[in-house]
Amino acid sequence: MLRPAIIILTLGWLGLFVLAPHLLVVLTSLMTPHPQHLGTYPFTLDAYVQLLDPLYASVLLDSLGLAALTTLICLLLGYPFAYTIAGLSTRWRALLLFLLIVPFWTNSLIRTYAIKLILGNKGLINGSLMNLGLIDQPLQLLYTPFAVVFGLVYILFPFFVLPLVSSFDKLDPGLLEAANDLGASRWQRFRHVVLPLTMPGVIAGSLIVFLPAMGMFYVADLLGGAKNLLLGNVIKNQFLLVRDWPFGAALSVTLILLMAGLLLLYAWSNRRIHRRGGLDDENL
Amino acid sequence: MTIRTLSASLLFLFSLSAFAGGKVVVYNWAEYIPDGVLDDFTKETGIQVEYSTYENNEVMYAKLQLQKGKGYDVVVPSTYLVSKMRNEGLLHPLDKTKLTNLKHLDPDLLDKPYDPGNQFSLPYLWGSTAIGVNSEAVDPKTITAWQDLWDPKWQGKLLLTDDVREVFHMAYKVLGFSTNTTDPEQIRQAYEKLQTLMPNVLVFNADAPREPFLAGDVNLGMIWSGEAAMANAENPAIHYVYPSEGAGFWIDSLVIPAGAENVANAHAFIDYMLRPEVAAKTVEAIGYASPNLAGKALLDEATRTNPIIFPAEDVIRNGEFQQDIGPAAVELLNGYWEKLKTGR
Repeated sequence: MLRPAIIILTLGWLGLFVLAPHLLVVLTSLMTPHPQHLGTYPFTLDAYVQLLDPLYASVLLDSLGLAALTTLICLLLGYPFAYTIAGLSTRWRALLLFLLIVPFWTNSLIRTYAIKLILGNKGLINGSLMNLGLIDQPLQLLYTPFAVVFGLVYILFPFFVLPLVSSFDKLDPGLLEAANDLGASRWQRFRHVVLPLTMPGVIAGSLIVFLPAMGMFYVADLLGGAKNLLLGNVIKNQFLLVRDWPFGAALSVTLILLMAGLLLLYAWSNRRIHRRGGLDDENL
Repeated sequence: MTIRTLSASLLFLFSLSAFAGGKVVVYNWAEYIPDGVLDDFTKETGIQVEYSTYENNEVMYAKLQLQKGKGYDVVVPSTYLVSKMRNEGLLHPLDKTKLTNLKHLDPDLLDKPYDPGNQFSLPYLWGSTAIGVNSEAVDPKTITAWQDLWDPKWQGKLLLTDDVREVFHMAYKVLGFSTNTTDPEQIRQAYEKLQTLMPNVLVFNADAPREPFLAGDVNLGMIWSGEAAMANAENPAIHYVYPSEGAGFWIDSLVIPAGAENVANAHAFIDYMLRPEVAAKTVEAIGYASPNLAGKALLDEATRTNPIIFPAEDVIRNGEFQQDIGPAAVELLNGYWEKLKTGR
């Protein structure tokens, strides 16, 4: 009796709060813009044609670039971090993971305002460098793409690390011992055992960072000077300012499709890893 | 089911929670009311205030229009939106018999073309948009005109307000056009003029332009009179320059949306805001000019003669007040605005 109830509740929840809104977005993206309503008939693909406008194509490319850079920095910082954490005793590991989560107790908007104070012309970084005599004019850090990437990395870093840590957890130490016994060097063990087996974590972390990075309009608004740096800024402006809802929706659908594509990639790489060296490996 | 009926039924669901009496929902510009006024109002009248803020007219209008004027009891649009919203039936007529403090308002600011006879709106505050200069970094004497912002030496230095009408005002004035032009050719020329300004722009600010000035992140750019007055009070090095081509002027008015659910409370709130002592407190705290003559009389000498808050007659005459420019021109402006903010 309880099981069907839970299933119905879950499906109802997903239907009402996930499926229905997404269908509305897709539906809106196919309508004709109307100044007084969300959109009007007839159905049209105009909004998607508008996406090909070089202006929006370049915003898309720019925000793909910023999101990719954010993901790359998360990877370079997060992989060694997760690797180190995985090697620690349970107590230390719990503590470090706890510290990673603590900032979430403060609203990310407030933390973004704090970043403004750190990066400002009279902020922590410029103040310290000037006091040390390393520079005599403050560096323009705030309101630049650098500040946006800084903010995105800061906010999204834990989301990258957590799936990675769990994939280090699943790593069977026996495999490393076996590699060692078979004469593999440190680098070879990392390259041929650790890296392939933690790849699902890397990909999961990248996905969780990459897409939200393109949508976090408030980071670009506060740290990037409210220029249209991210796709999220354009979407927000289309809905609130220009009130071209179909076009805003079409941009959102583009992001959703991108996400779906990346998830497929993830599933594919997961399968591939399981086949090579995992339980399903025919060669084992 | 169409999207319209769906959103209407969603709204109905939300409005069910609003049955409890004794409240007024106020939707105002960010930083546009002094601390404590809302509490005082609640203490005196027992009416709870639900308060939220917006950053520009367009965002407020988008929400109200989507909800068919429901959800809020008092909003504070600028003149050009008052006439637009009035024409679209989004405003509820004011009952003057409930507004006993109406008599304190400056007749010069009443009965304007955007709302003849003040059937739907009463002026709350007015102010200007001009140039802010921090004399610690920039000599204020070298900045006398909007055109000075175009100087290549300010590359990556300027603050602009995140407001399409105000930013275009600069270009219109430099080119000698009206800030209320609807001529597509003039709008295009202004857009091209602004394109050449974009390399100088560091940041668009929507909520509090004084903060980047005070934090030292910006030393030159657009700023609103009230923000400039507050910044100047905190750091006298921050000056307010009325550009020779003419500053932008605006009036923000108290209105009741057509779908307001607490119309009586909304009147009570508006009447409270029109009290001379509340008006005086508002000018002192947030630095914009009040149309309330009795309130102005209560101000101390320094505030009453502060040229940032109350500019001289010729400065006002040299500037221009915003008016509604119709949907076609707005659409054109918004299209160009998106391009400018993308850096093109």
